[in-house]
Amino acid sequence: MQIGFSFNVSRCSGCMACVVACQDENDLHGDGLNFRHVTRLEKGQFPAVSMSFLSLACQHCGDAPCMMVCPTGAIYKRDKDGIVDVHQEICVGCHSCALACPFGAPRYLENGKMSKCHFCVARVEDGREPACVRVCPTKALGFGSMDSLSRQKAEKASMFLLEPLMKVSGP
Amino acid sequence: MPEPNLLVIGNGGAAIHALQAARASGHSGPLHLVSDMQGRAFNPMLSPYYLAGKILFDDCFPFGEGFYKKFDITCHLGSPVETLDSANKEVILKGGEKLPYDRCLVATGASPLLPPVPGLRTSNHLFTLRTAEDTILLHDALSETQSALILGASLVGVKVAEILVQRGIKVTIVDIAGQVLPHAAHPECAGILEAHFATKGVELHLSSNLERVEDHGSEAVFHFQGNKTIKADLCLVSTGVRPNLDFLNGSGVEIDQGIIVNHRMRTSVEGLYAAGDVSQGRNLLTGKEEVIGLWGNACYQGRTAGLNMAGQKTSYPGAVPDHISTLFGLTLVHLGNPMHQGNDVTILSNRDLSEGPYRLMAFDKGVLVGANLINGFESAGRLRKAMIRKLNWEEHFGPLTRVPSDQEIAQFLADVPDSLSIPSPPF
Repeated sequence: MQIGFSFNVSRCSGCMACVVACQDENDLHGDGLNFRHVTRLEKGQFPAVSMSFLSLACQHCGDAPCMMVCPTGAIYKRDKDGIVDVHQEICVGCHSCALACPFGAPRYLENGKMSKCHFCVARVEDGREPACVRVCPTKALGFGSMDSLSRQKAEKASMFLLEPLMKVSGP
Repeated sequence: MPEPNLLVIGNGGAAIHALQAARASGHSGPLHLVSDMQGRAFNPMLSPYYLAGKILFDDCFPFGEGFYKKFDITCHLGSPVETLDSANKEVILKGGEKLPYDRCLVATGASPLLPPVPGLRTSNHLFTLRTAEDTILLHDALSETQSALILGASLVGVKVAEILVQRGIKVTIVDIAGQVLPHAAHPECAGILEAHFATKGVELHLSSNLERVEDHGSEAVFHFQGNKTIKADLCLVSTGVRPNLDFLNGSGVEIDQGIIVNHRMRTSVEGLYAAGDVSQGRNLLTGKEEVIGLWGNACYQGRTAGLNMAGQKTSYPGAVPDHISTLFGLTLVHLGNPMHQGNDVTILSNRDLSEGPYRLMAFDKGVLVGANLINGFESAGRLRKAMIRKLNWEEHFGPLTRVPSDQEIAQFLADVPDSLSIPSPPF
């Protein structure tokens, strides 16, 4: 099985609660040491402008490039849920993963070792949501197995198509 | 039809990933591994960490003791291949033993290149750093070393220089080029590094042409053009590597700098594949085939070869040259070709380090073709992605007049369609 995050860009207000919840959960107090990042996207020119936000952490890739380039085998993928995590005692801090990751997910602790979003693995194993998902006030962030996430997405898309039809043909 | 007999020559990243991928894809036939070395697969990238005392020697072997048993691999270790008879599909080992194959992978890696300087090769003070044996020899020699000369200001050379300085050894770095890291750093970036290395006590002799080496008892004397001489107890040669392919003479396989392969890692000879530092690969930036000596590239090539040898159809499009390395406390990133030249080239950099980490970016017609970063590596992976995808920065930012900030880079890439999809190689 592979679990993943879902993100609904039209719901995100850029409140940064996910970033703070992540820092709190993972005891990240270093300067700029965040596992989750919110990027502001501005589009258009006055008066036709729009702004949206993108909250991004490690994507726990199916074929993770960080894992492939890791010279020590410290980065591994869990069979049961597809979480990509790092054995810090094996990591030598070579930063190869920083160059391989197209999302900029790897971060480095003061001891030089890599650390990144591990899906709040302890919470997930306990049947709870990751800290960022739990705290998201607009429900822009979600999580679940990739199967259930794509099913939810398909259901939502079908409803989007069906709803107007139901109104027309309704009583 | 019985499963084909697969044979892999070599025992490094490419070889291991090939064996692992072949087995994982369902190949149940024989898997043979032939290597001139004894023991497990060694990762040369890790030897500096061992020399620096950060890891144990045992940790330089990342695939573990149980690998060969787990994947049911028949190992022929300590058996150098004398010749490869591609017509009869067999490899002949030193001693005469013949091993037949249906498909064979050459993943023999590369060895340090020694410049043809009189007296250098025969010097008792000469060291290189590539194999497990080299690592032990260098490690054991360090306890009695007071002064060292590093020939070649390459990433390996500078990395070892750092370790020696930490051990209180007097270090001189020498290069024929006029700058350090001539293949990885733009001259401006190199200048910043050179100044930093000097503050750490490293003596740099650039544009220095070594003419001959003489051993005098416990030290060697290095004579340079212009009557300059340097004495040192130990000399590390780090001037590059060359592919290990001597045994392929007569096999008929097409060779340029390394073995020529296609996107499935097939060579010009039927049933023969190549991967890793012994082979070439496509530079995605230039479209040219060249040796791309990177651990990650070798692993991807090996995996691709293993899958194709086992009957799958997968391809590996290539890579861009890139490095990341911590040198004397600074993390240097090199992407693509920062020295790129041409009429439509714009090179931007923020020389003023008080404004943040150093960043140099080279654009050709608005497309990023090379970069150097010092510290501030957080956006390195994203820049690499923008480079591989040949995204046009001018279309987004307008005329490029200054280096984009981290935030601007993140915004730019977030705006690219499917930038959030899970990647497949190359990334």
